[in-house]
Amino acid sequence: MPRTSDASLLNQEPYVKYRNIGMKFGDTEVMKGINFDILSGEKVAMIGPSGSGKTTLARMLMTLEKPTEGTIEIGGKLLWHRRANGKLVDANLKHLRQVRGQIGMVFQQYNLFPHMTILRNVMEAQVHVLGLTKKEAEDRARKILKKVGLEHKCDAYPAQLSGGQQQRVAMARAVVMKPKIMLFDEVTSALDPELVGEVLEVIREIAEEDEMAMLLITHEMAFARDIADRVVFMADGQIIEQGPPEQIFNYPQHQRTKNFLSRFSTEFH
Amino acid sequence: MDANMAIFNGLLKGLGVTLQVLIYSVLLALVLSFIIGFMSLSKWRIPRWSATLFIEVFRGTSLLVQLFWLYFSLPILGIRLPAMLVGVLGLGLNYGAYGAVVVRTSIRAVPKGQTEASIALNMSPYRRMRSVILPQAFLIMLPTFSNLTIELLKGTSLISLVTLADLTFQALALRSATMETTQIFIYLLIIYFIIAYPITLGFRWLEKKQSVGRG
Ligand SMILES: Nc1ncnc2c1ncn2[C@@H]1O[C@H](COP(=O)(O)OP(=O)(O)OP(=O)(O)O)[C@@H](O)[C@H]1O
Ligand SMILES: [Mg+2]
Repeated sequence: MPRTSDASLLNQEPYVKYRNIGMKFGDTEVMKGINFDILSGEKVAMIGPSGSGKTTLARMLMTLEKPTEGTIEIGGKLLWHRRANGKLVDANLKHLRQVRGQIGMVFQQYNLFPHMTILRNVMEAQVHVLGLTKKEAEDRARKILKKVGLEHKCDAYPAQLSGGQQQRVAMARAVVMKPKIMLFDEVTSALDPELVGEVLEVIREIAEEDEMAMLLITHEMAFARDIADRVVFMADGQIIEQGPPEQIFNYPQHQRTKNFLSRFSTEFH
Repeated sequence: MDANMAIFNGLLKGLGVTLQVLIYSVLLALVLSFIIGFMSLSKWRIPRWSATLFIEVFRGTSLLVQLFWLYFSLPILGIRLPAMLVGVLGLGLNYGAYGAVVVRTSIRAVPKGQTEASIALNMSPYRRMRSVILPQAFLIMLPTFSNLTIELLKGTSLISLVTLADLTFQALALRSATMETTQIFIYLLIIYFIIAYPITLGFRWLEKKQSVGRG
C-alpha cells in the first residue's frame, strides 16, 4: 500500500486539491480556509467530533454542496468552476457531470433505489451513464455482487435485505462505476454492531485490490488505523492535524486530538 | 315493462355521454397535472409563477362557476365552444389543478437521499427523474389520483347544467316524464357505482404492481 511518507509520493501531484475552502450555511460559517490534498490511490481516513465538517467536506467533492469560498480541483480540473477569460466562473451542469464521473460516494443511509431489484440497482447507472449494454452491465453487476457476497440476492429488493447487506450493495453500485476516488461517509454508523464487520471487510477488500483513492470518514478507529495511508483529524471546521496512522494515534501533537482519541482508547488495548 | 325499457334506454344514452366526458377530461387532467406539476417545481420563476397562478385560479373558483363561465360568458367575448368541449375543459382544468398539486407534493416527498445517490452515480437530471424519482413519486400519487378520478366522475353530473345530456340529465328528464322517481334513482346509483368500482380496482392494482418489493 502506498504511504504518504514514501519519498516517491511526497513529490507526487495531488489528485484532489481543496484550496482555501470556506463554507457558510446561511450566516453560519462552518469552515474557513481549508487546504487539503488527496493523492492518486491514497487511502485517507478522516476522523473528528460531530459537527466538525467531515461530511460537508466530502459532499463538496461529490458536488452535493457548493463551497461558498475557494476551489476544488480534481485530476487537474476545477470542479465547481471553470476558467473563462482568466476569470473563475461557476461551472455548468455539463462540466460538473464530466468531472464528477471520477467520484463515487457511499452514504450512511445506503440510499439504494427501493423500487429496483438489487441487480438493477447496480446496473442502472452503468447503462444510462456509462452507456454499457444491458448484457455488459449485468455481467459486471453480477460479478461485483458476487465479490460482496450477494450474488444470491440479485432478484431481491432492498427492503428484503439487512442493513449490512444493503450497504454492501451500495458499495457494489458505487464501485462498479470505477471512480478514481471513492467517498465513504460513516457507512457503518447506521448498522447494528454485529453487521459492521461484514461492511468493513468489503471496504478493506476494495482498498487492497483497487487503485482508487479513498476518503473514509469513520468512527472506527482501529479500522482507520489499519487501512489508511494517512489520518486526518478535523474539529470545528478545521484540519487540526494529519499524518500516518501510527503518528496520529500514538503520538498526536495537539491537545484536541489527544482529547478526542482518549474517548476511543479502549479500542487499542 | 315498457316504461322500464324506456327508462333503461334513456339512461344508457346518458351513460355514453358521461363516459365520453369522463375519459377525455381524465386524460386532460392527467396531462395538465404533470405539465403544471413539473412547472411548479422549476428552478425558473416564470414557469413556477404561471403554475401557481393556474393552480390557484382553478382550485379557488368552483367547477360550476367555471363551467358557466366557459359556456355562457365566453360567447359574449365571441368564443362559442360546443357543450362537450366545455364539459371536458371545465373538468380537465379543474382537476388538472388539483392533480398538479399532487404531482408536486409527491415528487417532493421522495427522500433527498435518492436524489443524492443519483447524483453520486452521475445521472443526468432527466435520468434521475425518469429512473429514480418519478417511479417512487408515482406510487405516492396513486391513492390520491384514485380519489380525484372518482371525484371527477361525480363532477361530471354538473355538465348537465351546460345542456349536455349525461346520465344525471337523462335521469332528471325521465323523472319528469314518467314520475318513476325511486326506480330511476336506484338505476342511477347502480350505474355510477358500476363505473366507479373498476376505477378503484384499477388504481389498487396499479398500486400493488408499483409497490413490488417495497416491504
Ligand atoms: N444543510 C445544512 N444546513 C445548515 N447547517 C449545516 C448543514 N449541513 C451541515 N451543517 C452544519 O455544518 C457543520 C458541519 O457539519 P457536518 O455534517 O459536515 O459535520 P460532521 O463532521 O460530518 O459531523 P458528524 O460526525 O455528526 O456527521 C455542523 O455545524 C452542521 O450543523
Ligand atoms: Mg457527518
